[in-house]
Amino acid sequence: MRRRSFIQCIAGLTVVSSFLPSCQQQRVISGSIIGASAHTGHLLRDKNFAAPVTVTEHSVVVVGGGISGLSAARQLHRQGITDMVILDLEKEMGGNAACGKNQISAYPWGAHYVPIPNNDLTAYIDFMRECGVVTSPTDAPLPTYHDYYICFDPEERLYINGQWQEGLVPHYGVPDAERKQVQAFLHQMQVFREAKGQDGKDAFTIPMDNASKDPAFTALDTITMKEWLHQQGWTTPYLQWYVNYCTRDDYGTNYDEISAWVGIQYFASRKGKGVNVEHQDVLTWPEGNGWLAGHLKKELQPYFHNEALVARIQEEDGKLSIDYFDVKESRLKRIRAQQCILAVPQFVAGRILQDEARIRKVHQHIQYSPWMVANLRVGDLEERTGFPSSWDNVIYNSPSLGYVKATHQQVTQEKAVRNLTYYLPLTGGQPAEERKAAIERTHTEWVKMIVNDLDKVHPNIAEAIEEVNIMIWGHAMSKPVPGMAHGNIRQELAASVNNRLHFAHTDLAGNSLFEEAFYQGLSAAQKVITQLSGKI
Amino acid sequence: MSKKESGAQWLLLTAVFVIATCGLIYELVAGTLASYLLGDSITQFSTIIGVYLFSMGIGSFLSKYFNTNLLAWFIRIELLVGMVGGFSSALLFIVFPMAASFRIILYAIVLITGVLVGLEIPLLMRILENKVAFKELVSRVFTFDYIGALLASLIFPLLLVPHLGLIRTSLFFGIMNVGVGWYLAYRFSKDIRQGALLKVTAILLLAAQVVCFVFSEKIMSFSEALTYDDNVVYSTSTPYQRIVITKNKHELRLFLNGNLQFSTADEYRYHEALVHPAFSSLSKPEQVLVLGGGDGLAVREILKYPTVQQVILVDLDPAMTQLFSRQRMLAKLNDSSLLNPKVRVYNADAFTWLRNNKIRFDAIVVDFPDPSNFSIGKLYSTSFYQLLKHALRPDGIAVIQSTSPFVAPKSFWCVDTTLRAVGLHTVAYHNYVPSFGEWGYIMATPTPPQEWFGHLPSPLKYLNPTTLQQMLTFPEDMKAHQLLDINKLNNQALVKYFEEEWGKYLER
Repeated sequence: MRRRSFIQCIAGLTVVSSFLPSCQQQRVISGSIIGASAHTGHLLRDKNFAAPVTVTEHSVVVVGGGISGLSAARQLHRQGITDMVILDLEKEMGGNAACGKNQISAYPWGAHYVPIPNNDLTAYIDFMRECGVVTSPTDAPLPTYHDYYICFDPEERLYINGQWQEGLVPHYGVPDAERKQVQAFLHQMQVFREAKGQDGKDAFTIPMDNASKDPAFTALDTITMKEWLHQQGWTTPYLQWYVNYCTRDDYGTNYDEISAWVGIQYFASRKGKGVNVEHQDVLTWPEGNGWLAGHLKKELQPYFHNEALVARIQEEDGKLSIDYFDVKESRLKRIRAQQCILAVPQFVAGRILQDEARIRKVHQHIQYSPWMVANLRVGDLEERTGFPSSWDNVIYNSPSLGYVKATHQQVTQEKAVRNLTYYLPLTGGQPAEERKAAIERTHTEWVKMIVNDLDKVHPNIAEAIEEVNIMIWGHAMSKPVPGMAHGNIRQELAASVNNRLHFAHTDLAGNSLFEEAFYQGLSAAQKVITQLSGKI
Repeated sequence: MSKKESGAQWLLLTAVFVIATCGLIYELVAGTLASYLLGDSITQFSTIIGVYLFSMGIGSFLSKYFNTNLLAWFIRIELLVGMVGGFSSALLFIVFPMAASFRIILYAIVLITGVLVGLEIPLLMRILENKVAFKELVSRVFTFDYIGALLASLIFPLLLVPHLGLIRTSLFFGIMNVGVGWYLAYRFSKDIRQGALLKVTAILLLAAQVVCFVFSEKIMSFSEALTYDDNVVYSTSTPYQRIVITKNKHELRLFLNGNLQFSTADEYRYHEALVHPAFSSLSKPEQVLVLGGGDGLAVREILKYPTVQQVILVDLDPAMTQLFSRQRMLAKLNDSSLLNPKVRVYNADAFTWLRNNKIRFDAIVVDFPDPSNFSIGKLYSTSFYQLLKHALRPDGIAVIQSTSPFVAPKSFWCVDTTLRAVGLHTVAYHNYVPSFGEWGYIMATPTPPQEWFGHLPSPLKYLNPTTLQQMLTFPEDMKAHQLLDINKLNNQALVKYFEEEWGKYLER
């Protein structure tokens, strides 16, 4: 036997062995697809609603129970505005912070962590204190965070060059010259983290709108992250992969599409400090940001109207007529309100307001990226060599973002049966096509895709999977392409209408982060309060 | 070409086919086994294939030194390949736990099979060189060679591994190899010298391999038993761990996941040292909590204090506590302490149990496994010790088994640092337990007693007042000599120290 025959044999062996799991996969893996009520949502696009059957009066209506809407409503409630209704399409409020639960643990359906808050975000830190996340009093020089909510060690690992390494920045098997590029990049991010503009403001910060307008930095909003990396001469595929991973992770956008300014924002805007944490630490819970949403919701239960699809909003006699389709009763109802906060994505806002100019602008400037999130209940998994199982487990060059162990923050001894949350931003093609393909894909096809991906790191994954539930987010978040951060489009779309209708959403903030949504809500609530108190 | 010669030629070509199949199978077995036992399948397969191909080159080179009796040599080699390859996986399974140099044996086997297979093709071509036209010869030999390889690569993953397992697969092909050798010896016995000897050797080998094939299950279990020095008298796998109990004339030992927990020869040294320094410093221990320690041996010592009213034992694994309550030989070791009416056993996760606990205890004995992984590391964190502190009365004392201060001084003092970080006062001490070596413990209390160490109960086999004092002295090689990190859930500093120190120690 010679070398060639060997190569053939081994190639044959891999082909054959790759058939093996698929034969065994005849076993039906249970679970379902639970898209974010796309069907009901599309009624807005497709259906002509009749006249409303009931009319009620309220002073404020909040449309959308995502983080922006909840944060606005909570602020209004705290300011004594109790004649309020919150309308949301879904059965549960929470938006992208949705979560689920099975016999093992709770798990996230979307966003699953927040970074340590920047220390100037007082209102946000106060909220964290109320939740018990910050344990120190308001007058403490630095906040102390609850140990149970700081992500436990081991936090992250990357499967690269045949082994698991600690951390996500590629180093295992990376040649020295390329490692130096990665180091240079990280150093530059540290420089940006500390940089200030001519106006004295931080070059990069959260919320994005508080950042410096110094053209030295905002010029970065005119090129893509990939172009910027090439300008710097940082061409190693390891760094390109890492940056692309990060922009897909936070913004669902490839690095060759995203604004360089926003790409850098990911690395340079997080500078929170605490007694027991560093800026790179994160806060997380089994149900992800659903835990925080739960705290936002706490006092708001009486205001909730779930499964309510807002069909149109019109202005009549100095008031707003808000017509919504009550899914449970299958009837159109009307609320007449003095003030309204539209805490929905702009492509929905355009349709609700039947505002052709807005629809056109949104269509022209904003793209929404689709995502697939799967929760996997798995038994004992075979492991590859290297760093042990961590909170965030990423595979180099995989189309997915890997998986997060939902059971990681449990203090109990690790059990064989676990919940893994698998994230796949659908950034392969044009969003509309990806969205269509995603909706058409069957449960079996999704499971096969996931198994093929994770098979590299857990050879027995096909047998170990017990259940897979899948969420399709058709319009998960808006893409921060060049011009979104420092162009005018967001301001144009965010302007209140006749001081009665206000907007709050992360697509107006420019990026889909919990903190951005929180402040979107606060600022919209403030506008409502100003208007209402002005009238009294 | 006569009909007889043509028959002989085809027979030899069939031999090529079998050799090719068997040769590749042995490499696949070696690669798979190495991946199973050593992990990192990419490296294992890659190096094994490389060594194999290189050895075939050596074999081809050596073939020029064979000048006479080519057919007899060919048959001998056939039998040798059958023997080495056939027994290879059984041998590797057995030597894995015994030999420190498992890799050397593995690569030696790969090298030998490679050399032998590499010898065969050139020899065969020379046997046939005058009987067939050269271009025909090359064409036929290599065709069969490659077809054999393809067959091997297909049946190995599809049929052999799932249905026969590794030991039987290699034996099966050993039998095939030897069978071909025997048939060639039988068929050409007139053409070769010592034909009879070859036939007898072949038959003996065949018999040995068939026996092994039948008893392959026994070989598997023998290989596990060899991991332990003594007879395995009990073994079971629970959802949490593998429990193995071994016994020889003098002592009984308990292993959890392969780690020694105690030996009856000296466990009293460990358990007396774990319990009595803390308990003798308490004026009146009444409410007691034991975390871990499902073997009931610490409870046996605790029950020597008549003031004790209640002992709550929390151990994760019901299989452990049941075994040490019900199994007579084991219950005798702990004086049936787990069946004592003062003792209540809860099978629960210690962290969760402590989080929900409302009782305040006079004494808490923490007897967890060493912090060898991130999961157990949580039970040595500030978050856990905060709960521990909360579960102690102001004058209560907790004692924590804290690994070996000799092997792992940083780990040991990291536990001390972590306890102090949550505001507990600590007293560290150590003693010698022959089965473990030098071992360490740390007492922790919200308010230190007026005086440490009071009256010791009797009977004790190890401790006396002088020994108690001696245990407090730490020689220089059991000190950390550096500022240590506090072990927290989000840094797991202790697991890192532990891995570094024990890893280095076990490398020796």
